[in-house]
This record gives sequence, structure tokens and C-alpha cells, in this order.
Amino acid sequence: MSYEDRANARPNLNDESDVEEETMANDYREQVNFDDSMSELDRTTSLGGSQTQDIQAQLAAAATPLEYQATLETKFASYDNYCSLFHYILNSEGPVDLEVPSYYWAWDVIDEFIYQFESFCRYRNRIARTGSNEEEAQVLRENPNTWGCYSVLNVLYSLIQRSQINEQLAAIKRGEDPLAVAGEYGSRPLYKMLGYFSIVGLLRVHCLLGDFSLALKTLDDIEMNKKAMFARVMAAHFTTYYYVGFSYMMMRRYADAIRMFSHILVYVSRTKNFQKGGNNYDAIAKKNDQMLALIAICVALHPTRLDDTIHSAVREKYGEQFHRMQRGGPEALPVFEELFRSSCPKFISPTPPDFENPAYNVDPVDHHTAIFMDEVKNTLFNPTIRSYLKLYTTMDLKKLAGFLEVQPEQLRSWLLVNKQRSRQIRWVEGSLLEGDSAISNDLDYALEDDLIHVSETKAGRRLVDWYLRNLARVY
Amino acid sequence: MVAFDKCETRPANIDAILNGLDRYNPETTTVFQDYVVQQCEDRTFDCYANLALLKLYQFNPHLTQPDTVTNVLVKALTVFPSPAFSLCLSLLPAHTQPFPTTQEAQAASQTSDFVESVQKLSRLSTLLESAQYTQFWSTLNSDDLYADLTADVAGFEELVRIRIAVEVGKAFRSITTESLEQWLDLRNREALEKFVTDVCGWKVDGTAVSVPTNKENEARSEVKSERVGVDMFGRVIRRGFEQTA
Repeated sequence: MSYEDRANARPNLNDESDVEEETMANDYREQVNFDDSMSELDRTTSLGGSQTQDIQAQLAAAATPLEYQATLETKFASYDNYCSLFHYILNSEGPVDLEVPSYYWAWDVIDEFIYQFESFCRYRNRIARTGSNEEEAQVLRENPNTWGCYSVLNVLYSLIQRSQINEQLAAIKRGEDPLAVAGEYGSRPLYKMLGYFSIVGLLRVHCLLGDFSLALKTLDDIEMNKKAMFARVMAAHFTTYYYVGFSYMMMRRYADAIRMFSHILVYVSRTKNFQKGGNNYDAIAKKNDQMLALIAICVALHPTRLDDTIHSAVREKYGEQFHRMQRGGPEALPVFEELFRSSCPKFISPTPPDFENPAYNVDPVDHHTAIFMDEVKNTLFNPTIRSYLKLYTTMDLKKLAGFLEVQPEQLRSWLLVNKQRSRQIRWVEGSLLEGDSAISNDLDYALEDDLIHVSETKAGRRLVDWYLRNLARVY
Repeated sequence: MVAFDKCETRPANIDAILNGLDRYNPETTTVFQDYVVQQCEDRTFDCYANLALLKLYQFNPHLTQPDTVTNVLVKALTVFPSPAFSLCLSLLPAHTQPFPTTQEAQAASQTSDFVESVQKLSRLSTLLESAQYTQFWSTLNSDDLYADLTADVAGFEELVRIRIAVEVGKAFRSITTESLEQWLDLRNREALEKFVTDVCGWKVDGTAVSVPTNKENEARSEVKSERVGVDMFGRVIRRGFEQTA
């Protein structure tokens, strides 16, 4: 995409989202009401049938979070519950006819399933690392296959395959009837929803395991927009954008990461009033802050003009840190690390830890933080370079090195690094992993021996936006 | 258009495995391993396929072949600047601690050859990614272990040299032979001239090397003005008709 297209993309976007804001709010109200009426309906039906009570209890348990203090025994029992439930759904003769407790059930069950997998792996790793609880370590050692990564992935992939959801989504993309390819299972809402949210679940699992490209690949058949099915469930909508944005960030595609985070944060800020009092409001508020922190990191690594709402939210929440990261230099390092640690997913290791060598079980969060911080360190002086070069049209390299109190050789490296990082792969169309190389910086330069020629692509004043806003205010 | 999951030189059978569930099947490990050997020999690179192999190792640690892992990392070094190397590191076990900051982490490299290799290669990656090419060559030549690690990758030094030249070509219109000698580790004038003229197509004039103008080293200033279309005023005009006050 050329600079011109991008410069002009914003006003259009604004216009569109203004219109969509109203529909968004209505949509949201509709969903909430819809959910209410569903749960009432459900209350009456579940009172009626007593034979289905057992399976109903299992369904409800699968979507209910474990207590924070749950014992190891409870965690094992919960795993068994999931196994038998998924076995029943997937391997009965023909599709099962189930009355699910609520509209959100399919999302809740996948979400909770993965959450328990994640927290189990982290717990197991911690026990092995600290050696604090010999008894539990023994139990964990004897059950290496509980919450195994192969069985978790197996569940998700089986749900996807059974429901033919990828084929259905591909058909929708081509403008055909998804029911034609849905098959016996996929045509039922239960399977379709479980299959669909399993795709989002896979995105999350791959990301937790550090496989960021495969995470993005998983969404090949899903279109990222407000009309996508995941947008019907707020938590799913949110989760999807968080993990997609994060994966982009780890692939150093900061422009795409910012686009993803901004999209969902704007959506949240516009529907905020309708979510207050909702049961997962706290969880959403927490993720919201995490994404603001990630946006701050991305913008520091890749200067971009943010949407006004987002920009002021970042400044309000992380003002001081944002400023320090944007300024760069060694003082910014601890800020990058702190924000990254508090906002990254809770990474896990897929295999049982080594109980014999506690030191071997490094926390995967430390691992990924170290990898990310290496890139931050390599690009730490980009802001310094840019702030100086903005002041000149030509500059002698040795003189600038003198200003910065570094060796000319060091400055040459910094100039090369800054130049390299201002070229980035950016999504234009197609699947999430596709993109074009684009110049992402308005400041460019070339060296003629020791003479730096600086050029700047300036955006002319943008009046339309201002004019429209004030016009709206006047009448 | 670049697509991370595609690769022109990828054989059809590998592509089929990558797009199916067989990518999780431990039995395909050998297929991917052979593919890495092939990439090392014919100087191609398929990041997405190599990540699939590292994922198989991640799930089945007992299958891990340290030599193959280091070969994958060395191949990833040859495509800098790119996230390839760090994406590979992300799939390695956390105890390899590629960027050791604590004493314990450094000590870990003394007890395991594999950890030591990963840490050494990560050091090289940092030097390349931060454009410290002179230090890259001196580090590479400072330890025999590096020679062992890169031995399987055909033309490793030349591949890196070409990448460096490409990056230099994007930023410089002309550069002194002295800098280039150090960055490319071509200490002998003849070798440098040959490389610069034959491989890069640049001109040498005394102590200066001039790089022909390309899209990247042009650096032209321009002012982009706003595009104003009638459609942007659609809402205002519509409202004008709706509210006849």
C-alpha cells in the first residue's frame, strides 16, 4: 500500500466506523437480550427432563471455571470430565442431540478447557522448578499424560474436523451455502459452534506454545471483521484479536499488530456502557489494559499515529512508560520488559518438566521475554537516530557521531538498523500471513560515504476530518 | 506479495504434510530432517517447514537431533534481518536460555553442548540483527566451534556476505572500500573488487565503491496531500436534507 493510500485510509475508516458504531451498539444490546431469553427457556426445559440431568451437569461443569484454590485432585477430575464429555460428543454413533445450557456455552467450554490446560501446565512446571511440594510432584510424575498437549490438540482438531467448519467457512467466503458442505454433524449448531470456537482455541494454544506463525495460519478461513461469527460473543471477539495481535507482534509486524489491537479496543470503548455489570467485565478490563500496554510497545518500536481514543487511553494508563519507551535508550529497557511481562500470554511448555533437575525448568515466560528483549535491545537507538535526523537535510556522519558521543562505526550500525526496521511486512489482503513489504516511516535517508542525505515524506495538513468534526458540532 | 507459509522451493510432499495433521505425526520427523539437509546443500531456506520440525521436537523431546536444530538456526542466520531466527528460538526448550543474563544461565552452557551451541548462535544472530558486521566476522573466526556449527551449511559465509551487501546497497550510494572490507570480511583487495563487481554489480573507483541508485537508497522528499472526495461529506449532506430547520 502506498503512503498516499494509507494517509487517506483514515478518514474513510472513521466515516465507516461512525455509522457502524450505532449498529454495533444495537448489535450488542440484541445479543445480551438474546442471551437472557435463552437462559429462561433453558431453565424450563432442564426442569422437565430428569434422565438428561447427568449429562446436563457435565455440560455445565465443562463451562464453569475451577476455583482458584482447586486441588490437584480436582484438576485431574476436571480433565477426566472433559475427556468423557468430548468423547461422548465426538464418538457417539451419529451426532448427539444436546440441549446446551446457553448461547455462550460453546465458547465458554472451549475457553475454560484451554484455560485449565494452560494453568495446569504452568502449575506443573512451577512445582518442578521450586521443588516445594514433594507429594504433588510425585503425583504429577506418575501421570505425565494428564492434560497432555497431544490430547488437547486432538480434541480441538477433532471438533474442527467433525463440524467441517473450515469447509463451511470457505464456502461462505466463496458466497456459497455452507450447509451443502456441513455434513451430518456440521449442520447442527452444537457442532458448528464448538468447531468454530475450536479454531480460536487453536490460535490461542499455538500462541501459548510459542508457534506464532502457525497461530496465524489457523485463522486462514476466518475473516477478521465485525461480521465474523466470533464477534457474536464478546469474550471470543476479544480473545481472537488479542492473540492475533500478539502473534503479529512476535513476527515483528508491528503495523499489523497495532491494527488488530486498535480495532478491538475501539470496539470495546464504544460498547463499554453495555458491558458494565456483565460477568466477564473484569476479565475484559484486564485484557484491555494489557492490549493498551502492547500497543504502547508496538508504537515505541514502530512510530504510528494512533486513533485518538486509543492514544489518549494509552497516555492515561501508561503515560510515563509510553514516553520513556518512545525516547528509547538503555533507560527504556526495564520499561519494555515490565510491560511485556505483564501483558504477554501465560506461555507454557508442552511437555512434562524434569523433576530431577529443578534448574532445568525455566519459566517459558522468561524464555519468550528474553527473545523479545533481544530485538528491543537491537533497536534501542532508533528513536535517538530519528530525532536527530529530523532536524537536518544533510549531515556529516562523524559530526553526528560526535553529538551522540559514539564511534562513527557504531553510528553506521545504528543507521543500518533503523533503515532495516523501517521496512516491514504489512497485510493488504488474503490470509493473515500474507503481506507486502512497505516503508513504514516518513523519515528516510541514504549515505554517500560519510554524508547522510535525509528525506522526509510529509503529510499535508489534513483538514477534512477537522472540518467534519466541527461541522457536526455546529449543527 | 510475501506469504510466510509459502516457499517456492518446497516440494509437494512437504507441502502436503504441512497442510495436514501429519505435521504432528512423529514419523514425519525424518522427512523434515531430510528436507533440512537438502536446504543446507542447495542453499534454499524454508522457514515455515523448519518451524514445523522444531514443533515436532518440542512435542517429542526424545526425538531431538541437536545437529539438525543447530543447522536450522544457522540457516535462519542467513536470511537476516528477519524474525526467522527468533521464531525458531521460540520453539526451543526454555532451558537453552539463548540470551543468558544470569550466572546460572551461563553455567548451563558448560554442562550441555547443545545449550552452548544455541547460545553461541544467538550471539551471532544479535550481531547480524544489530548490523555489527565487523564483530560478527571476528566472533565467527574466534572459536573453532563456529566452524563446526556452520560446516553443514553450504556456502554459509558467502550467503551472509551477500545479505550484508544487500543491506549496504539499500542504505549507501557510495561507501569506502575500508568499511566494506571489514563488513564483508574480504581483507584482500582483489577479492573485494571481484565480489563487489561480479556479485553486486557495483563500481570500484580508487578507495570508493559506488552503488547504483535503487528504490531504497534514493531517499526522495515529498509532500503527500490529502485526498478529498465528495463521498467523505456524504453524512453532512444527507443530514442537511433530513433536518430542514
